Amino acid sequence: MQKLISIVGVITLAALLGCSNDSRETISDAADTVTSVAADVSENVATTETVKEVAAADSGGSAELKPEQIGIVETLPEQYPAEWILVQDSAFFHMLDGRLLVVDASSDDSARRYKGMFNSSIIGQFAQATTRPEMYSVDTYLSRGTRGDRTDVFTIYDKRTLAPTAEVILPPKRSSSMPTVYNLQLVDNEKLALIYNFTPAASVSIVDLDSRTFIGEVPIPGCALSYPMVGRGFSTVCGDGTMLTVNIGANADDIESSRTDSFFDYENDPLMEKAVQIGSMTYFPTFKGNIQPVDMSGDIAVPGEAWSLLGAGDEGWLPGGLQSTGVDDAGRMYLLMHPEGYDGSHKDPGVEVWVYDVENQERVDRIKLELPAISLGITRGDNPLMVTTNINLTIDVYNANSGEFLRNIADIGAQTPFMLHGAR
Amino acid sequence: MKWLDKITESRARKVAQSTSRRGFLGKLATVVVGTTAAVPLLPVARAEQAGGQQPAEEGDPNSCDYWRFCAIDGFLCGCCGGSINTCPPGTEMSPITWIGTCENPVDGRNYIISYNDCCGKTSCGNCLCQRNQGDRPIYRPQLANDLNWCLGTQSVAYNCSTAVVIGTALDE
Repeated sequence: MQKLISIVGVITLAALLGCSNDSRETISDAADTVTSVAADVSENVATTETVKEVAAADSGGSAELKPEQIGIVETLPEQYPAEWILVQDSAFFHMLDGRLLVVDASSDDSARRYKGMFNSSIIGQFAQATTRPEMYSVDTYLSRGTRGDRTDVFTIYDKRTLAPTAEVILPPKRSSSMPTVYNLQLVDNEKLALIYNFTPAASVSIVDLDSRTFIGEVPIPGCALSYPMVGRGFSTVCGDGTMLTVNIGANADDIESSRTDSFFDYENDPLMEKAVQIGSMTYFPTFKGNIQPVDMSGDIAVPGEAWSLLGAGDEGWLPGGLQSTGVDDAGRMYLLMHPEGYDGSHKDPGVEVWVYDVENQERVDRIKLELPAISLGITRGDNPLMVTTNINLTIDVYNANSGEFLRNIADIGAQTPFMLHGAR
Repeated sequence: MKWLDKITESRARKVAQSTSRRGFLGKLATVVVGTTAAVPLLPVARAEQAGGQQPAEEGDPNSCDYWRFCAIDGFLCGCCGGSINTCPPGTEMSPITWIGTCENPVDGRNYIISYNDCCGKTSCGNCLCQRNQGDRPIYRPQLANDLNWCLGTQSVAYNCSTAVVIGTALDE
C-alpha cells in the first residue's frame, strides 16, 4: 500500500510539473495569444502513434507495464467528418456551465463517440466557420459567477484543440435569449461576425474576423436577430411586419440601412425566427404553416410570394419546436411538424419531419419520428444524418434520405441539448 | 394536445411527473423574465388598489396549468422560495418583462399578466413550466418568452418567474 501511495505521489508530482508550462495563460492580446497557444499545443500533444506504441508494448502477457508519457492531450482533425455533430447544451438548469460537445453521430460506441467539448456561459450562442478551422461562441461572464462585473466576450475556438485561441471583448449587451441560429451569424465570406444585442434596446455588434477586433455596433430599433445578406450586410426582422437591411462599409459607422414595406401579418401569422438559408434565399416558416421566401442577394431584402406547407388532408398540421428547421446540402428544407395545431402550439414538439423542395414548393418526404422532437439538425454531404433532440432531451439519429431511425444518443452528459448542428 | 398526450404518454410520464401534464414541454423551457410596477403604455385598466373584494382564483398557483401561466416560460417562483408575485429571498425582480393575456376562469375576465423574472442566482430548478398562448417571436419582445428578461438588474443570472396581475385587458 505504501508503495502504491508513493507511486501515486510521484505521478501527481509529475502531473503538476507537467502542467506548469501554463497552458492556461490569460488571453489578453489576440495575436500574441494565438501564437502562444499554438506553441503549447505542439509541445504537449502526442500523436496517436505514441499511444499505439505503448499499447503494443503492453501486449506481451506477463511483462510489466512500461511507464507512460504524462501530459498527452488529444487533438481532433481540422475538418470534422461529415457524420459529426455539435451539440449545444444550454445547461438550462445551471446556466453558468453550458457546453458545446463534439459527437460522432454515426457511432454506436457510447464511449468513443464523445470527441470533446468546450464551455459556454449563460446561454451562449454558437457558430462555426467553413473557411477557417474555427468555431465561435458568444458568452456572458460575471466576475463572481452569478454576480459582479459583467463581461460579454466573443471567443474563437480552434476546431483541432477545442481550445480558445483568441477573444474579443464586446459591449455587455448581447441577448441571452433561447439559442437560435441567428443570434450569431457570419457574413461577407466569414469576414464579419454579427452578434444580436438586447438591453432591451436592440442592436448588432460587429466583429472583424481577420483582425479579431470589435469594429462597432449598429442599432436595429424594433427588430431582432441578423439574417445574412449575400454581400457585406444583414437583414433583421421587425415587429411592424418589415425587414431592415443593413449594408456595412469598412466599419460600423459606414452603414446604409433600408427597410422593406410591411409584408407579413405580425399579429395573426407571424414569421418564425427559425428560417433556413438556401443559396441566396431565406425561407421563414409562419405560425399558420406558410413559407415566406426572402431574396437576400441584393442591397435590400426582397420578400417573395408566400406559399403553404399544407396540402389536401394536412389540415391542422403546423410547424413547431425550438430549432424546428434544417437544410441539407441538396437544398432540401426540413421542418418539425405537429397535428392539431392551435394558437400557442408553435413551440410544441414535432411528431414528423416534413421535407420540402422549395424550388417547386412541394413536399418530397415525410419522416415519422421515433419520439417527438423539439430541435433538429442535418449533417453535410450526400448521405446526411438527421439528428433530433427528442422530448426526453436525448438525441435521435436518422438516415435523412431514407428516414430510417438509426440510434439514440443519451449518455453524453448533455442535460438540455437545445441545438444540434451538423459539422461544416 | 390530445395527440401529444397519446403519443408520449408512456415515455414521457416520468418526465411529466416533475411538473404538470405539460411538464415535459417545460423541460425545453426558455428563459423567462420578470418585472415590477412600472410597465408603461400597456392596454391595461388598473385593478382597484384598495377597497372592494378581490375576485376568487381557483387552482394550484404552483402548478403549470394555473390560469396565470398561459404565456410563461421558466421556473415558477412559488416553487423556489417566492410566490406567484414575489421573488425568492436574495434575488432581485427585473423591472422590465414580457406580458401575457390570460383568462381567469372564475370571473371570465382577461387579465394582463406581467411575468417578472427574479434574478441574481442561477436556475431555481423546480417547477419548470412553458406555455405559449399569445407568445410571439422576439422581434415583438413585449410578448416573447424566449428572452432572458433579467435586464436592468444587478445580475443577468435568471432564477425564476413570477406572474403578477397588473390589470384587466381592455375589450378589443
